[in-house]
Amino acid sequence: MQYKSSELTSKYLRSRKIPSTACTGCGLGINHKIVVQAIAELGLEVADIVWGTSIGCAGRQTFATWKGDGFAGTHGRVYAIARGLRIALPPEKKIILTVGDGDAFAIGLNHLIHAARSNTDMTVIVNDNLGYQSTGGQYGWTTPQGSKTDSSPYGMFEQNLMSSGMDVMKILKGAGATFLARHVPMDGAWAVASVKKGIQNRGFSLIHMPFPCPTNFASRELGSRDPVNIYRWFKEHAAPLGQEKESTIWATGIWHDASNTRPEFSQLVHETVEKIRRTGSI
Amino acid sequence: MKRYLETGNFAITEAAILAGCRFFAGYPITPATELAEAMSQRLPQVGGIYLQAEDECAAMHMCIGASLGGYKAMTATSGPGFILYADPYGWALGCETPLVILNSGRVGPVSGITGAPGQGEFYLTRYPTQGGNFESICLAPNSAQEVMAMTVEAFYLAERFRMPVTVLADQLITDGFEDISVPENEDEMKEMGFRVWPRKIHQGPDFYPATDEIDIPPVVLGHNTGALCSDWTPTEEGYDIEEVEAHHKHAFRLIYKVRNHRELFSHHNEKKFMGDDPDLIVVSYGTPSRVVNTAVAKAREQGLKVGALRLINLWPFPDELFNQKAKYLAVELNWDGELVREVQRAAPDDSKVHFLGTCGDLPTIADLIETCEKILKNEPLARKGWVLEAW
Repeated sequence: MQYKSSELTSKYLRSRKIPSTACTGCGLGINHKIVVQAIAELGLEVADIVWGTSIGCAGRQTFATWKGDGFAGTHGRVYAIARGLRIALPPEKKIILTVGDGDAFAIGLNHLIHAARSNTDMTVIVNDNLGYQSTGGQYGWTTPQGSKTDSSPYGMFEQNLMSSGMDVMKILKGAGATFLARHVPMDGAWAVASVKKGIQNRGFSLIHMPFPCPTNFASRELGSRDPVNIYRWFKEHAAPLGQEKESTIWATGIWHDASNTRPEFSQLVHETVEKIRRTGSI
Repeated sequence: MKRYLETGNFAITEAAILAGCRFFAGYPITPATELAEAMSQRLPQVGGIYLQAEDECAAMHMCIGASLGGYKAMTATSGPGFILYADPYGWALGCETPLVILNSGRVGPVSGITGAPGQGEFYLTRYPTQGGNFESICLAPNSAQEVMAMTVEAFYLAERFRMPVTVLADQLITDGFEDISVPENEDEMKEMGFRVWPRKIHQGPDFYPATDEIDIPPVVLGHNTGALCSDWTPTEEGYDIEEVEAHHKHAFRLIYKVRNHRELFSHHNEKKFMGDDPDLIVVSYGTPSRVVNTAVAKAREQGLKVGALRLINLWPFPDELFNQKAKYLAVELNWDGELVREVQRAAPDDSKVHFLGTCGDLPTIADLIETCEKILKNEPLARKGWVLEAW
């Protein structure tokens, strides 16, 4: 299904926040459109979703873009806020969180794991621009191994959560996430389909969506701010799961789909409380 | 009215339920653990939710989420956990989210002694977060019965001022067994002075008026009002903005909505023999005030012109109570002196302000009376202010 950006924008987004103040060539807008398109294809309305964001490029650029109710949490804490909010919201309301890689996989990883463990119904979109770009371009824990950044001038030499055999998706799967996918911006309709599945899962879903940062990452690592370079570089280093090559950084597609197989957190809590209230025991 | 021989933790739990709290998230820490346990037992019985969080930071953020969704929420901790509330406290304060925090003080710094009372978070309750440009509200009860009243009151103030309110108790209050009366209906609640403010829903999309107005309902998400809240400086509509003028309005509101409505809580402070123009005023809060009140009454019997000023409303600091020209003695459960510094600041310029600290245990009545006598006679104190007499 094809949508014009203007149609999606006028229906779902606040005009005063679009276009955003993102840098030229930033891939965040593509990711944002993928998510909004998934919402449109599911036939959801503005009132159906509470949108949460966090700090950094991803949080700041997506905060208040949604026409409906929204919030922005401090760095890494939105998953804990969302778990409390999930308890208070009616079950049919969706919570969508657009966060960054530092938020999700560094400062917030503990909270993220417990959101996954408890299978709290939320869809986390990790907009990963390969490091901490709003603070100037430091490396993060999913920055490609060996990359030169402002805080790794000799190349990122620590092992990180994208290193061979240590993918963060495996940690989240082990922690109990019921839907996990990864996509790069050029995945288009394929990415939209995964986001739709994530939203439809009544439980914890996370879609990891790395995107190009020409301003900081590309200028340090690739020596050019020309967006064409980094989009080409992205394409070269992404491959569908099962078709990875030696040079593959991002294995794309659905990593884990156990949608609607485990009790959802707030449903479990409410049902248990109701039983205790009525009978005095579980 | 039902009477119990129970702990302060029991009283707080019943108070929270009476105030309409239906969400509690916490992380185990002595001496606040029993409160979490009591909540886990009692809340489900009234349809409420107890959650155990992965850490204190998450616990308070969960409360924020629940409050944003329309629940009255509460969390409890002790000093080492209270410091981890700095991040969510700031968020709730900036987003004007109602919330109640119970801090049961123990001996510090850091982990210190888990089972001994301390008063090391006096200033931390004034500035529980970063950045300044705000005012905080903190209530300090001195008994199990009173912590019940103060917990109900904290929910009332949190709703009206739409902000986090701290109840600063200590280990003796939360763990100690005392005679507690629990009201069973609204009439009894009124009789006991309990005030309850219902949760109302801000209809948005405007986030706040740039005035000192109170009683503006808090933002509740999920009603499709277009409500927004974030930790950034907001415009009046709730959008984030990087303009100092917008921040002036925001800060003005956070500071003066509290300062300009102090009549709502300033009546709480307890004054004994203060109308009698005392030569020495003994200032305290929390459990030490119980010993102070007894010691001052005994000192009076001995002819010493002493008064007792017990602070219940710690912040905003009640400067107006320190307008008498007299000698002052601050009694606290710490060695470094925290309350004494505020007394020094608030007292008339030529006042002499003294300090008596203990740690992990209450001062004795004999110690207090002897100290009062020496101060009144201008004799040197056995313990010289902040200096310890022996290592």
